Amino acid sequence: MRHAAAAPAAPSAAQDQQILNFALLLEYLQEGFYSDAVKSGALKGEVRHFAEVVGEHERAHVAYLQKALGARARQRPTFAFGDKTQHERSFVDAAVVLENVGVVAYNGQAANLTRPVLAAAAEIVSVEGRHAAWISDLAGRAPAPRAADVGISAGEALRILRSAGLLKTR
Amino acid sequence: MMKGPFDPSSSGTADVPTLAEFDLDGALREMADEAFTLSRGDLFRLSATAAAAGALVGLGLATGDAEAAATMSANDISILRFDQVLEYLQAGLYTEAERLGALKPETLAWARVVGAHERAHLQAITKLLGTNAVKNPGFNYGAVTSDETAFLKTAVAFEDLTAALLKWQAPRLDSREIVAVAVSLHSVETRHSAWIRHLVGLEPATTPFDKPASQAEMAALIRSTHFVVSRRTKTAGKKKPGYTG
Repeated sequence: MRHAAAAPAAPSAAQDQQILNFALLLEYLQEGFYSDAVKSGALKGEVRHFAEVVGEHERAHVAYLQKALGARARQRPTFAFGDKTQHERSFVDAAVVLENVGVVAYNGQAANLTRPVLAAAAEIVSVEGRHAAWISDLAGRAPAPRAADVGISAGEALRILRSAGLLKTR
Repeated sequence: MMKGPFDPSSSGTADVPTLAEFDLDGALREMADEAFTLSRGDLFRLSATAAAAGALVGLGLATGDAEAAATMSANDISILRFDQVLEYLQAGLYTEAERLGALKPETLAWARVVGAHERAHLQAITKLLGTNAVKNPGFNYGAVTSDETAFLKTAVAFEDLTAALLKWQAPRLDSREIVAVAVSLHSVETRHSAWIRHLVGLEPATTPFDKPASQAEMAALIRSTHFVVSRRTKTAGKKKPGYTG
């Protein structure tokens, strides 16, 4: 898989596309995860409400990125989440990882984007930060564990997701 | 290009319309005047090598990136000065609330964590600005730091708008190194906002896209609080809090 360069190269339209396609992969993953979890019927109360609300947001992010990328938008993979969407506890744990990785993955690309695309990405990552704090609070963890959400490379983001068992496809 | 209230390319005197627009009882003007005095002779360029590295280390941002040796533009200095004043205000607000200890335990727990973050942000921005930093103007929070309802309303308003402000500023920054720092603070502000909203029973995330808000909008919120008190008029400590939401 080819993904956005970790080393900062000067922003360009071509690099924007590469990064937006990486973001689209993250959004496909999040949308698919919440969609599966809501369908499973395993979630109750506020956790279910969280999955419904956040799933809607991720769907809107996917639609935005697909439109921005047009014909260059990557295909939607079919993810295999196993039992992570079938039990509330495993759902919450996985959602904490998904949302927190999403935030620092976007942050890691910010300086590599052209100004207009950075403005759009900021509107998205802002909401991802809210999701991360919300699900962390529901999980009984620190909603804002650090003073700075230091960005990570695309490769590092994918490595974390893979090791959490969240990047399996079928 | 935007001109912030602390635009260093201006003279800092009364003929600066952008400054007058944001003038809060003359206090911001005093701060800016002081800053111009401090930084005279080096208004347009700032070698941020050591300062940026120090600020990054202070936040645990170990980049070791040689590009942090960038020279800061007047535009970036202007934006960071605005943020510095905002961080002074927020760090002071939460630190005073923590010291007084009059709020509910869960509110104090929030203020303790978020106050520490805002102090870290302030330290990082101050180091980045170096000789272009502005002094703490001093704020009078009135009863807001000891009144549960007023504090929560104020905190929600500031955290929501701070996140929106950083979104407005990010694409306006020139330095990519500063963009990387700014976005790492931005998402933490959105976490603070979601967390305090959850605490008070509001939806933490209400929309798929969070819109930006300008420095003018933030200046209007600050003005509405009456936290900024001119040192020329000795009302600090007596003035009633004007902002209760």
